[in-house]
Amino acid sequence: MLKLLSYLIGQGVATARELFPALDDACIGMPTLTDAPCQGSDCHACQDVCPTAAIQVAGDGQGSFVSLDRGACIACGLCIQTCPAGTIKRDLSTKTAVRRREELVLTTSARADKPGQPEEAETTKMFRQSLAVREVATGCSACDLEIGASGNPVFDMDRFGVSVVASPRFADALVVTGPVAKGMQKPLIRCYEAMAEPRLVIAAGTCAISGGVHKGGYAEANGVDSILPVDVYIPGCPPHPWSIIYGISLAMGKKV
Amino acid sequence: MKIKRSEMPMTRRLHALRSWLDGKERRLGLVTSLDGSQLITLVLDPRNRSAECWETPVEGDQYPSLTPSMPQCHWFERAIWDLFGLQATGHPRLKNLFLHDQYEPDFQPLRTAKKPAGISAAAHRKYEFLKVQGDGVYEIPVGPIHAGIIEPGHFRLSCLGEIILNLEIQLGFLHRGVEKRLTAVPWPKARFVAEAASSDTAVGNALAHAVAIETLINIECPPRAQHLRSLALEIERLAMHIIDVGGIGVDIGYLGVAASMGRLRGNALRLGDLIAGSRFMRGFILPGGVFRDPDRYLPAALQLTRELRKSVEPVTAILLDNPVACERLADVGRVSTSLARDFGLVGVASRASGINYDARQHFPHGAFPEHAPPPVVETSGDALARTKVRIGELFHSLRTIEKLIESIPSGPIQEKLPEILPGGRVGVGIVEAFRGELIHLVFTNNNGQISRYAIKDPSFNNWTGVSIGVRNNLVADFPICNKSFSLSYSGHDL
Repeated sequence: MLKLLSYLIGQGVATARELFPALDDACIGMPTLTDAPCQGSDCHACQDVCPTAAIQVAGDGQGSFVSLDRGACIACGLCIQTCPAGTIKRDLSTKTAVRRREELVLTTSARADKPGQPEEAETTKMFRQSLAVREVATGCSACDLEIGASGNPVFDMDRFGVSVVASPRFADALVVTGPVAKGMQKPLIRCYEAMAEPRLVIAAGTCAISGGVHKGGYAEANGVDSILPVDVYIPGCPPHPWSIIYGISLAMGKKV
Repeated sequence: MKIKRSEMPMTRRLHALRSWLDGKERRLGLVTSLDGSQLITLVLDPRNRSAECWETPVEGDQYPSLTPSMPQCHWFERAIWDLFGLQATGHPRLKNLFLHDQYEPDFQPLRTAKKPAGISAAAHRKYEFLKVQGDGVYEIPVGPIHAGIIEPGHFRLSCLGEIILNLEIQLGFLHRGVEKRLTAVPWPKARFVAEAASSDTAVGNALAHAVAIETLINIECPPRAQHLRSLALEIERLAMHIIDVGGIGVDIGYLGVAASMGRLRGNALRLGDLIAGSRFMRGFILPGGVFRDPDRYLPAALQLTRELRKSVEPVTAILLDNPVACERLADVGRVSTSLARDFGLVGVASRASGINYDARQHFPHGAFPEHAPPPVVETSGDALARTKVRIGELFHSLRTIEKLIESIPSGPIQEKLPEILPGGRVGVGIVEAFRGELIHLVFTNNNGQISRYAIKDPSFNNWTGVSIGVRNNLVADFPICNKSFSLSYSGHDL
């Protein structure tokens, strides 16, 4: 016991001071769009390499138009590597979560009128200080590991007032990972119904948002929002623990 | 690696497999079908680094089960029934595995061969748990949604007092149709689907996929890429072994160890950031090589690995030097060597039960077997043995990472691949993922399209190990037993 204590003291404070820092320069990050004009539909190299059809290119020259759905993006980095015009570049921000699905779809032409932040709901105000979260995994376990990591001494989700609870009965928010294939649809709905109102649903990870690479298959693994109303979407494959904590903070209505 | 394909008549199949498994260290890789009109049996000879693929035509929709003579076939035959509608007659517990009652009774997703007339599969989706009978026997149902942050699956414990008499594990909740999807997407994009089979094993799956495609085309990737692949595989093993040992700390209430391991796993994931650009190294390994050359980050990675070793050593010592912690783990979830062999257990679970099999020693993947560390083998077969194997292996991984970085050859990192795969071929990738032997088996049709893609996750073999291990244990020991196996639900369910 003494050995453990002296080791723990010797290691110092592990908890990160800086909140929601950008990812390291070595990382791929998620793609984002820049002002550099796209070469238009003659090129569409990004659209061809994208494994999840997250990118659409239309029009030519000045009138070209790129739309990039971060809710379908698995952050493979191929479009960033492929784009010859610099229209698509990497984004190392961990503040990637949004409240509305359409905010995840970036476009080159409509960039001036980006959707504003929605009105804050009455329920979110209630959860500003603390949020009890129930996690339901329906995917490949990467997002689950990252949610687990959000509670470790480095990120320490508890300091934001977030606690992970073992039953939906105690939970204010349901965090769903994975594409919710047929086998998990009924258990997920039962879990949601067991929660007291008001309740929030957070879709964590690209599969939970859109089905990701599984979308459209016979197992109907097309994401959470075809089954439950979703309050916050956290893109990423898997999202970084900072992105997860940011997303949960957003659901709580915290100023972050 | 060469893979030999041959016809195997149904009448000779049992005898052939029995004599194959009598051979020294030879193994059953996987059993499946291509379209429902035949059985495919992949058998491995690790010593000779070779594999054989036996094709057995099936008349009608039934075939004699091999499970009564070779219990390790039991899970495969259940999967074949689900996916292809082929019924193993004489199987003692034939029931569905992936497809629950949400699916239509006659839905067989991978079956493309014509169904014989008059076959009714109406009872197919009905799931009945094994009933343990007797005075005072009661059941504890657990799941599919568990209390922690883990994947879903249902455990049905039949108990007498505090003693578990039987554990039946019902899986399949995460079935996403991965194998079917792998045949539907253009092959250069298939790697992302293969990775998502189970992303805690993203590197393992990507590597098995890449090796399978490369053996199918019959090319080799450049030596520098091979080094980088092994590097990624060992980083993944390191990170997962650290968190699994930490998980044991959680379950025995040794929270200082748990918190320390949780923190140190972050350093291992940081290696992933440096080498591959993301913590889980998604998309790094691809057929023909690797996605990027992390040359300028290698010195930092080496430095980080050395520091990590210094910080991990005291934590594992604090766990293993503590007699209370070790006693808590000893004798929990014991699996004997003979049962581990009969049920074809792989990876950490098999090496903890005295079976000296590590695919890194035998089958070429990445810089292995050349740079493979020696296998870590324990004999007691309990949760303590599995923890010791993990701890031994994580230090081997640290050493291997250092060696691989120090000895990395220069050169290109990608080999150019054809746009269309060669037709009528088979390719296999056998990888020692952190849980154990992982197999990807790929067939192309005459047009060069992937016509069948089979994945055998190590968890597919090992879930039965949990049932065996937990028998006659205390109910309160079940979480420790389960954690000490640390199996994948998604890799199993596909």
